Amino acid sequence: MVIHSITVTVNGAQEHLDVPANMTLLHMLREKLALTGTKNGCEAGECGACTVLVDGEPVNSCLVLAVEVDGRQVITVEGLAPEGELSPLQEAFVEHNAVQCGFCTPGMLIVGHALLQRNPHPSEEEIKEALVGNLCRCTGYLRIIRAVQTAADKGGA
Amino acid sequence: MLSRLGLPSFDYVRAGTPDEVCRLLKKHGEAAQLLMGGTDLFPRMRDGFIHPRIVVDLKHLPGMHDILYDEGTGLTVGAAVSMNRLACHSAVQDIYPLLAEAANSVASYPLRNRATIGGNLCNASPCADTAPATLVLDGHVVLYGLNGEREVPSSEFFIGPGETAMRSDEFLMAVRYPSPPANAVGRYLKLGRNRSGDLAIVSVAVFGFHDGSTPSSYQFRIALGSVAPVPLRTAEAEDVLATNPPGEEIFEVAAQKAMEAAAPIDDVRGSAVYRNAMVRHLTLRGLREVWERMREER
Amino acid sequence: MTHLTSDPVGKNVHRVDIYDKVIGTATFIDDMPFGPGLYHGRLVRSPHAHALIKKVDASKALELPGVKAVVTGHDTPTQIGLYLKDRHIFCPDRVRYVGDPVAGVVAVSPEIAQEGARLVKVEYEALPAVFDPVDAIQPGAPLIHPDLGHYEVVNFIFPQPGTNISEHFKLRKGNVDAVWSQCAAIVEGTFRLPQIQHVPIETHCAVALWQPARQVTLWTCSQSPFAQRDLIAQSLGIPHGDLRVVAHYVGGGFGGKAGVSMEACAVVMARAVKGHPVKLRMTREEEFVSTTVRQSLVAHTKIGCDAEGNLLAMETQYYFGGGAYNEYGVNIARAAGYSCTGPYDIPNVKGDSYCVYTNRPVGSAMRGFGMPEIHWGIEQIMDQLAEKMGMDPVAFRRRNCVKTGDTILTGMKMPAIDLGACIDKVTEAIRWDRKEDPSAAHKKRGKGIAIMWKAPAMPPNPGSSAIVRFNEDATVNVEIGAQELGQGAFTVAAQVAAQALGVPYEWVRISAPVDTKYSPYEWQTVASRITWSMGNAVKAAAEDAKRQLLEVVADHWDEDPNDLDIKDGKVISYRTEEEQPLEKMVVYGLPNENFEGWKGGPIVGHGKFMPTYVTNLDFETGQGPRAVVHYTVGAQAVDLEVDTETGQIEILRIASAYDVGKAINPDLVLAQIEGGAVQGASSAFEALQFDEQGQPLNASLVDYRIMTSADVPQEIVGHIVETPLEDGPWGARGVGEHVMVQTAPAIANAIYDAIATRFSDLPLSAEKVFLALQRTEA
Repeated sequence: MVIHSITVTVNGAQEHLDVPANMTLLHMLREKLALTGTKNGCEAGECGACTVLVDGEPVNSCLVLAVEVDGRQVITVEGLAPEGELSPLQEAFVEHNAVQCGFCTPGMLIVGHALLQRNPHPSEEEIKEALVGNLCRCTGYLRIIRAVQTAADKGGA
Repeated sequence: MLSRLGLPSFDYVRAGTPDEVCRLLKKHGEAAQLLMGGTDLFPRMRDGFIHPRIVVDLKHLPGMHDILYDEGTGLTVGAAVSMNRLACHSAVQDIYPLLAEAANSVASYPLRNRATIGGNLCNASPCADTAPATLVLDGHVVLYGLNGEREVPSSEFFIGPGETAMRSDEFLMAVRYPSPPANAVGRYLKLGRNRSGDLAIVSVAVFGFHDGSTPSSYQFRIALGSVAPVPLRTAEAEDVLATNPPGEEIFEVAAQKAMEAAAPIDDVRGSAVYRNAMVRHLTLRGLREVWERMREER
Repeated sequence: MTHLTSDPVGKNVHRVDIYDKVIGTATFIDDMPFGPGLYHGRLVRSPHAHALIKKVDASKALELPGVKAVVTGHDTPTQIGLYLKDRHIFCPDRVRYVGDPVAGVVAVSPEIAQEGARLVKVEYEALPAVFDPVDAIQPGAPLIHPDLGHYEVVNFIFPQPGTNISEHFKLRKGNVDAVWSQCAAIVEGTFRLPQIQHVPIETHCAVALWQPARQVTLWTCSQSPFAQRDLIAQSLGIPHGDLRVVAHYVGGGFGGKAGVSMEACAVVMARAVKGHPVKLRMTREEEFVSTTVRQSLVAHTKIGCDAEGNLLAMETQYYFGGGAYNEYGVNIARAAGYSCTGPYDIPNVKGDSYCVYTNRPVGSAMRGFGMPEIHWGIEQIMDQLAEKMGMDPVAFRRRNCVKTGDTILTGMKMPAIDLGACIDKVTEAIRWDRKEDPSAAHKKRGKGIAIMWKAPAMPPNPGSSAIVRFNEDATVNVEIGAQELGQGAFTVAAQVAAQALGVPYEWVRISAPVDTKYSPYEWQTVASRITWSMGNAVKAAAEDAKRQLLEVVADHWDEDPNDLDIKDGKVISYRTEEEQPLEKMVVYGLPNENFEGWKGGPIVGHGKFMPTYVTNLDFETGQGPRAVVHYTVGAQAVDLEVDTETGQIEILRIASAYDVGKAINPDLVLAQIEGGAVQGASSAFEALQFDEQGQPLNASLVDYRIMTSADVPQEIVGHIVETPLEDGPWGARGVGEHVMVQTAPAIANAIYDAIATRFSDLPLSAEKVFLALQRTEA
């Protein structure tokens, strides 16, 4: 097994890590950095529970190798707001009770956040389209869509 | 029988030059796999279909991320350009909106940040979303191998499901699309099991433009996805449209011909009967919509 | 804490777990660190649908560096099961479905565990397999459980040894045979459903640690920590007090994480490497076909009514495809049997409900527990009979639906509910009486309605218990054994405790994770029973704590405790208007005058609830004084469009109304309604597919599609009806499952309204609709 040394900034903190070539970004975050907010739902790029931001763009971390993020910036759900605070989108999730089991929630927040960064006033259709790769089995999606809308209306991500 | 927990072990190397890639391919043969976005490669590795010893990352080769346009050569897209970057690029949106539409139809936004045009074409799934558009836009793939660079028309690139015309020492560097005729209009229609985000059960790309050299004064190109071992153009349907003036009746004939060109199978995603019917339906819809917009733009 | 909520029952307070979940710190089993000693497990699974195991050779696996142990069926000779002990933890001599676990490999890394699993060589002798329940009951069908007669079974389940029938429930009321001739109209039909899967976003995960000095710990994302402890302890001969089950948040349960599936494997594997925790996590593919699924069903139903449209008779046969092991599924067939009429008042009923072994994945509890399965046919055949009578489907249901006080099919009197109000709400919301235009010429629009009922399907004596403890600052710890699946159980417990105690909602903490070492007993978090049953236990525990408190303060004030109360965290006297804050006194008590002694001390309240009135039912007739604790009823209406050019279905609106007795948290009820409507609608289009040898064909999210954000109905309108439940906390009864029971037939009825084509078999699909339209055109 070949080990690679990488330097990656995660939630604003620079990390120097030794990772096997076959370790995905998902496992790197969860096992090397104990950032377990990012979830493993399928490891096939289908469920979106593993979504994180790499250089500001959402990606399925189960399909990215840790070695590929050498030199990059990664944001996970834990990095969406400073400690003790909630981002506008997280607050909107609370307001709308857009969470049930909570397993899809980190991925939804990341994708919602990224949407609002690139499109601060999305239509309902655009929100639905943006979330299409994030599966939820509990909520039926409507409250999540409403929460993104509320965060947009309040001008925040 | 069942998929793995995580990826099997392999060595990772970031290729610095095209020749390095060819050397690695020659040295390792089938034990080497090329990595672009990983959205096809990693699931296949996890499912146990392939177990390479070495994964060669092509994304850092020069030019792989370029999107260049000029009226003379047309559009050159580096193989590592992601679906999102392709769909958002102003030249693509302005001059090749069909390609943007096709790229935008892939899976979801996060997946489109990783899925690449090169990977999509080289994976050569019959349902590859950028393939029908590439065929009707007369795209050429630029391959690089031990013997240097060569261009292959997309019509000759797809050999079978998962099989391309690339030799074992070659990789895809870029895709070139000639400048489209003035006022050309295109449409990519895709039917999935979900309203969005699914693989194509059936897909159709229709591309139409004014062409003084044909009896009908128009040329319509039609390519189908998911309904044959490879994505394919439909010569007979296109002939009908080149020979007869456009209109609802002729569109129906062409749609019928397109259906006859398809050879879908029954699988877990759909039956051949349904797929045939949907080829006809989507082709008809595509022709109507393209023609409608062509008339508006005249 | 800036805002304090008094009297939280009935209010939309925020969930107690929502902050944790939106910042990503909510712990699920796979998130827990276990240190460098953690081993990883991988199961070796049968590639055959039905086969004898001739030989298991683990020698090559054991030689692989990093493999620490391999366990097989030899290590698990005793059986396990909830209602019928028909399973082994690892198969010793026979495999019964593709995926049946034959061995477990324990290694230092997941990769080595997988490589080790590959190296375990198993020799099989393939046996003929049977996949359809109706095929499986024919004479000469392959016998899947030849030893059925020797299995331990509870006294209300009746397997038939020598056959593939693991349960047969008979319902005989009145005399159907005599009544058919009196019917003005009769309709008969067969309805089929495939197996589907829960698709929780979190796959099953368990970590087990078997300490050399006796204590065994199992960390699990289970809905049923106490049931898991019970079944595994019994099977492996561990004293209950020495098997500790710690259950964290469940990332989606829907019944799939109830009972025991892969968790027992983890415990057996841990036994082979004492002192090392062993983690077993299901891949998504394993989750689909080797945890549990919803049973398939073939239902034959015949109904008839008189000239006024009053239902006179129903005859049904339900053949549930229970899969390879029916230890839990037998109760689904039973529940379907004693509720086989659906929510209708029918004087003559003949019902036979069977659970049948098939060489398919294990059928077990899935949201609705038999009710979605049977309502698929019932709600369509009711529409068919109404049509034959020239009656509007809504009017037909209003006339025939079950009402308070009706004697239902088991002879029980229907407790107070208001299904009529539910029907009113949804028909209004869907604008039932208005024929509305489709959005385009090639689309057809239709509306459909379906009603439902469900009782919690449980043994007669499922208990809940709770403890309420005060801390020095008067914050409260509530200990329960119920699990938070996302449905809001922890929040409801906190609301109930706060209300019953008289303290602000924000003072209450739920002691999580549920830990059988410390938490009080809870039968299982299933059956939509928790708000009712756990709610009662928490209320009782809080009232016990309150009574202790009031006694101390009354003594202190020399007053009658009946003149005292607790409001906003203070004891108050109605007589003197004196106040006593709870801080400190709830632990330290109160000093006597001049500090001559003290009274009181740490306040710990305890409570329990167990229904005491459920009776067994007659084996021949299914009759008995009290079959079930209660029913929750509801109605759903669907407004949809069919694209006639592609067959695609777009759901415009779903309107739902459920009689929940009392909405402890109305917004959480509405959240259940929304989520249930989408899962219910999605389920109509889902099916596990297999080839002719029983190999799964679509065990992945690529080809097992569920609804995404792009597929949701434009609108979901929820209504809450409140007819109090006699023994519910503030009248509350459950609703977690009910919200998706009848969505599929409501959709089918709406499709019929749109294109006059009826679909008797699930799954629906654009393809099926399109091809049916082609046939009607031809």
